[in-house]
Amino acid sequence: MLALTLSGVEVRFPGLDSPALRISELTLPAGGRMSVSGPSGSGKSTLVNVITGLERPTSGQVIWNGTDIAALSEAARDSWRGANIGLVMQDFHLFPGLSALDNVLLPARLARVADRAMVARAGELLAEVGLTRPGQGVETMSRGEMQRVAVARALLRRPGVIVADEPTASLDAANGAAIGALLIGLAEETGATLIVVSHDPGLIARLPRRLTLAGGLVQHNEEAA
Amino acid sequence: MLRFILADLGRMKAGAVVVILLVALAVALGTSVTLQERALRLGSARAADKFDLVIGAPGSETQLVLSTVFLQPAALPLLSGDVLADLQHDPRVAWAAPVGFGDFYRGHPVIGTTTQLVTETTTGFAEGAIFAAEGEAVVGAMVGLAVGDRITPTHGEIGHGHDDVQYRVTGRLHPTGTPWDRAILVPIQAVWHVHGMDTGHDHDEDHAHDHAGDGHEAGHADEDHDHDEDHGGFDAERPLDEHWHEGEIPGVPAILVKPATIADAYKLRQDYRGNEATQAVFPAEVLTSLYGTLGDARQVLAAIAGAAQALVAMALLLVVMSHIGQRRRQIGALRALGAPRGSIFALVWTELFALIACGVLLGLAGGYLAARMLSAEIARRQGFALPVEFSGSDVAGLAVLLVISALLAMLPAWTAYRQSPVASLRG
Repeated sequence: MLALTLSGVEVRFPGLDSPALRISELTLPAGGRMSVSGPSGSGKSTLVNVITGLERPTSGQVIWNGTDIAALSEAARDSWRGANIGLVMQDFHLFPGLSALDNVLLPARLARVADRAMVARAGELLAEVGLTRPGQGVETMSRGEMQRVAVARALLRRPGVIVADEPTASLDAANGAAIGALLIGLAEETGATLIVVSHDPGLIARLPRRLTLAGGLVQHNEEAA
Repeated sequence: MLRFILADLGRMKAGAVVVILLVALAVALGTSVTLQERALRLGSARAADKFDLVIGAPGSETQLVLSTVFLQPAALPLLSGDVLADLQHDPRVAWAAPVGFGDFYRGHPVIGTTTQLVTETTTGFAEGAIFAAEGEAVVGAMVGLAVGDRITPTHGEIGHGHDDVQYRVTGRLHPTGTPWDRAILVPIQAVWHVHGMDTGHDHDEDHAHDHAGDGHEAGHADEDHDHDEDHGGFDAERPLDEHWHEGEIPGVPAILVKPATIADAYKLRQDYRGNEATQAVFPAEVLTSLYGTLGDARQVLAAIAGAAQALVAMALLLVVMSHIGQRRRQIGALRALGAPRGSIFALVWTELFALIACGVLLGLAGGYLAARMLSAEIARRQGFALPVEFSGSDVAGLAVLLVISALLAMLPAWTAYRQSPVASLRG
């Protein structure tokens, strides 16, 4: 439910002449659903880092609903990200030795915001993504199941934005399609803004807004009919 | 959070166990050195507790103390028996008793002394009663003999047997925690008679034997030796006579003196130190100077133990730092998912500190057990108890060690805290 406005954003790395990312103006309305694609090295990851507050742009503003997160301190960005962004990553980043339920709750617990209601919600979310055994250790799960746990984890704190970085790239076609559908369905259901970095044409096709990057610049930025 | 730490440690079980053992080993080393040194000090202080003043013939003070307090076999020069008579009649003396050694029974020293010494320096009998005749003996708590057993002593630890001499055990003492627990106590007159010392009988010894450890060697050196002795006037049935008079008493290697007052103790020492025939020592004082020497050795050991601990700390730091490097992705992912930096710091710190603390406690227990085992072994061999106990300074030492560990664990935690979360996303 957060609207994004990027203005004058530039990310440069020391020793490189051209910026890794340069976006003079980009907006995405609250509840919008956008895919980001482009060859590797085109700046997709940098864009994800910047809009999630993992990385501060060299210059420019990253405004989510009026808050310029580029101006926040690292600790403030951490807590803002925890509260507003649900992140799904290509490699799941689940923690073996913990159950599915504990994995879903881990970030919230580390941020000391997990209460009884949140534990209940974690269980409901696991059921919603199609997992029936919340106590199962994640190391015994299939890759498709693992990504479902990661999706449930991303949604736990009712984020206003869901950012998925290649969520289907390490899954087989059937699981990839299921995860894609799950993400879009949950985003619609909660009204969250959805940004998906992906190469997966099937997934891209299901998102109305398409951003294509090349060499750190916006190549296409179109709204599908 | 705790569950995450446990799961995390569970995942690297082998590494965690090695870290704990490494720390435990280093700590155990330091602990056992400290405890053992203290045990030695306490134990020998207790052993010397009843030995206020020891008088012997001039010679090594240390040897006199080691031989009387710790019953270490050595050839001590003999003291004129008149000294004993003088002391017994001295008003400054509560009691004085001879300590005569030289004979052994299966590795146990056979000590000639008086009923008074036995009564005054021990806590009573577990069984039986004190010797009442020349051929009777009392055994210390660690001597494997029962009341009624008969023993024949040998001269020197591996010397020839006094074949026609037999003592009958009449009593068994309570343990005193001193080397005297290993001793067999017999009347001093028996020792004199066995060695033919007051009757003018020839005393026979085969000088081909090695007489190291023969307390009477010096006293016998010029005696006429003839090999088929009858052991002087030893008569197992002869009643005890502990009232001696000048001119009647054979030489003794040492006399234990209980002075009437502390002032008397110093006066007595002064009197018996100031002449050429005797020396007088306070065993406690001699031991203290011995510890001065031992203290240096302890410092060397403590320094080695400390260096080992520092080495382990360094190695540990190296391992942990590289481990943190390997966990960049995991730590980054936690950050990306919204875990605050403080939590990451706490996570890494708690994990490491828990491991080190486990190691420290384990090492403390291990060091204690090692010291206990060592003490038990020494007690078994030497018969003198080395009390292993913790003191207030150990608590302080433990606190210092834990504080250092806590600070040390902060270093990798800080590194993790500083790591950029970006590292997690497609590293």
